[in-house]
Amino acid sequence: MFETGVRQFRLALGMTQGRRLDPGNVVRLVDDVLATLAEFGEPGKDAGELIDGPMADPTARLEVANRSLRRTARRLAAQSPFYARRFTSANANPAKIDVAGLRAIPVTVKADLMERPGDFRCTDVPAYLATRTTGTTGRPAEVWLSRYEMELWPALGALASVLRGELGPGDVMQVNLSSRGAVAMHLSATSCRLAGAGCRPLGIVPPEAALDSLAQGGATILLTVPSYLAELVAAARRAGMGADDFRLRRLVVGGEVLSASLARAATRTFGVPHVDDPYSMTEVVPVSGRTCSQAHQHHDLNLGLTELVDLDTGEPAAPGALGTLVITPYFPYRDCTPVFRYDTRDVARCLPDGPLRCELAGIPATSQILGKADQLLRLPGGEVVTPRQLIEAIESLPAEPWPARYRATICDGTGRDGRIRLTLPTSAIAGYGEAEAGRHFAAAGLDVDLEIVGNDQAASLRRTRSDMHETTFASQHALVGA
Amino acid sequence: MSVPIFPIPMWEQSLTLFGVITTGTIVICAGALAYFRRVRMDRPPVGTFNARDVVILLIFIGILPFVYGWLPDTLVTCLLAVTFASALYIGYRPLLGSVGIWLGIGLLFGFNIWSSHHLMGTIPGWQLWYTEQSIMVGLSAIAVCNLYLQGGMKLRHVAWLSLGLAGYDVLFASYYPLTGELIARYITHPLTPVVGMRFGEVDYAVGLGDLLVYSLFFVAAYKAYGARAAKIAAAVIVVMGGFATAFIPFLFNFSNANLDILIPAQSLFGPVAFLTYLWMKRHYGRERTMAEYLASQDDTAAAPRVEQAPAPQPASI
Repeated sequence: MFETGVRQFRLALGMTQGRRLDPGNVVRLVDDVLATLAEFGEPGKDAGELIDGPMADPTARLEVANRSLRRTARRLAAQSPFYARRFTSANANPAKIDVAGLRAIPVTVKADLMERPGDFRCTDVPAYLATRTTGTTGRPAEVWLSRYEMELWPALGALASVLRGELGPGDVMQVNLSSRGAVAMHLSATSCRLAGAGCRPLGIVPPEAALDSLAQGGATILLTVPSYLAELVAAARRAGMGADDFRLRRLVVGGEVLSASLARAATRTFGVPHVDDPYSMTEVVPVSGRTCSQAHQHHDLNLGLTELVDLDTGEPAAPGALGTLVITPYFPYRDCTPVFRYDTRDVARCLPDGPLRCELAGIPATSQILGKADQLLRLPGGEVVTPRQLIEAIESLPAEPWPARYRATICDGTGRDGRIRLTLPTSAIAGYGEAEAGRHFAAAGLDVDLEIVGNDQAASLRRTRSDMHETTFASQHALVGA
Repeated sequence: MSVPIFPIPMWEQSLTLFGVITTGTIVICAGALAYFRRVRMDRPPVGTFNARDVVILLIFIGILPFVYGWLPDTLVTCLLAVTFASALYIGYRPLLGSVGIWLGIGLLFGFNIWSSHHLMGTIPGWQLWYTEQSIMVGLSAIAVCNLYLQGGMKLRHVAWLSLGLAGYDVLFASYYPLTGELIARYITHPLTPVVGMRFGEVDYAVGLGDLLVYSLFFVAAYKAYGARAAKIAAAVIVVMGGFATAFIPFLFNFSNANLDILIPAQSLFGPVAFLTYLWMKRHYGRERTMAEYLASQDDTAAAPRVEQAPAPQPASI
């Protein structure tokens, strides 16, 4: 107990002073949490503040953000060639940067990262592991990470997960993410190891194989992407499997829009109370977000600053307006390839003014992620249709066409200018009819012209992460040894 | 020819000391158990008592006599005041609230300091001082016992602590009599950490440390294995901590020249407590955790729980 106090003090001191943290100290704190849980069954009161920080006071929150921004900017000005130039050209003094004056510094976009990846690398730390974004929105970007980051992040992740009861001894986590996602796989496996849990990294294998593993392997946590979850639900239904066939207690998805209809179906099929839909992105790891029971996206305050920037003006989004998430991971949590004001192009809506009433009310929030900015449909009247609106409407069709395969464009020069042309595969409206489907979309507030194409074109309408299938010998029909 | 230096026979003194120790031990052990069953102390979000804490405690206990011996009496009193105030505040704030506990501490300390200077001339004065002193020390022992046990201290830890204290007692009471010198020097000062009473010309007392170990052993046995184990622990405490400690002077007739007899109680109790723990472990198996103990209490839900105010803000991660 004395040692635990010392470790907590060391961690707090490191965070306050902005020095590199000792990952070993955090690992030992995870052990302390496990010992606490073994003895008491639950952490003591105020465990939530240990994870989320005492951030309920807006003044304290602002002070922490300003201090962390300056610390991060000072380091970037000294160690990152890209940001040294950027701060100079913006005439920004890193030692005086604050939240209010942050808009003077242009956002960093993915193109910057792809064109000059070497310039983002800090010169004072050796690179250890490279990871690439999935590339679902175009070319992938490469991000180098240091050994320190690869030790610190899983330790911090395990600490938070164990304290929240999300991961612990006896759990087995099955990871159905792309096996090329080295960092996600590494973080999952290491977090599990630190938490005393098992980890089964499977990749995007045929859903039947994943289901077998889920059912027979006794997995208690499934980590995947919504599109693959959709495939799993469909495969489970085909196989006649239900909640009694699984031991799952948590379903965690990320990286894509999760529709309410798919979430409901997944909870019924796998027998879990709800689907966790946290937010994270390779370029801004370890900053993340959590969804609450009221479907808000609550953004991490300790590891980085999240701004919601108006899509048109670049100013902070007004209540009710759409904005893009601009994220700055703080030093010492981001080390090797840090970004400053990174425009994720993930769109969310600014919540109305007034206090939140959800269980995470102490943490600032936006709406759920509504999709990528580049995929918004701007109608002539000024109305904006988000990918989430379309996905929610499509996936709630009676045919349950998960994951939603569609192409949406604005009609132009066809006599029906300004309407949405929505292309769907035949299977999406099976047994429903085009007219009925049109009424379904109208009821969802979407005035669409439907275009129905053959099912063979479905995959080309909208790429999803589940399309990155990985084959196994078991899934090959004709492998002959030579 | 030697002159008898005791006003009453040694066996009578031993019997009286046995009565004092047993009374103090029973009251404090019962109080600690009642507190353990009815009051849940606040605990930090992360952390549980472990073996290294036992080592740290032993090092602290080993160093403390030198610090007390080195410091002037006034500073020793200040240190003791901080120690007792902390223990009482942590232990009884859930029951009395902030105002009540500070009022209680003020009254206890105020009367103790006043009586230390004004009541020592008569035997009733000594007895009143001892009574008030014993109440304060007993309450503190109950609080600290629960702080440790509700913080995750197990019977295993108590057994090792007892064994360590046995060595400590042998060293500091017999070969390097620092403890005796400290008591002889400090006995009439305020906040002396003993529970005792004066009968006639003789003081009979048992130290706070001994009482704390007895109550820890008793309640830890109850938490680990239930009421039967607690009864066995109680028997060990009465026999080794009470009877053997009180009658050693009678049996071996050892004394020092200051009329004060310092018996290294832990050197008698510690090894037997440790062996008792080993027997319990072999007989009953694994100790219950705090969570298992709470789950086993049928009346846990019905028992009133006193919640403490939030602890100071912990570090965020």
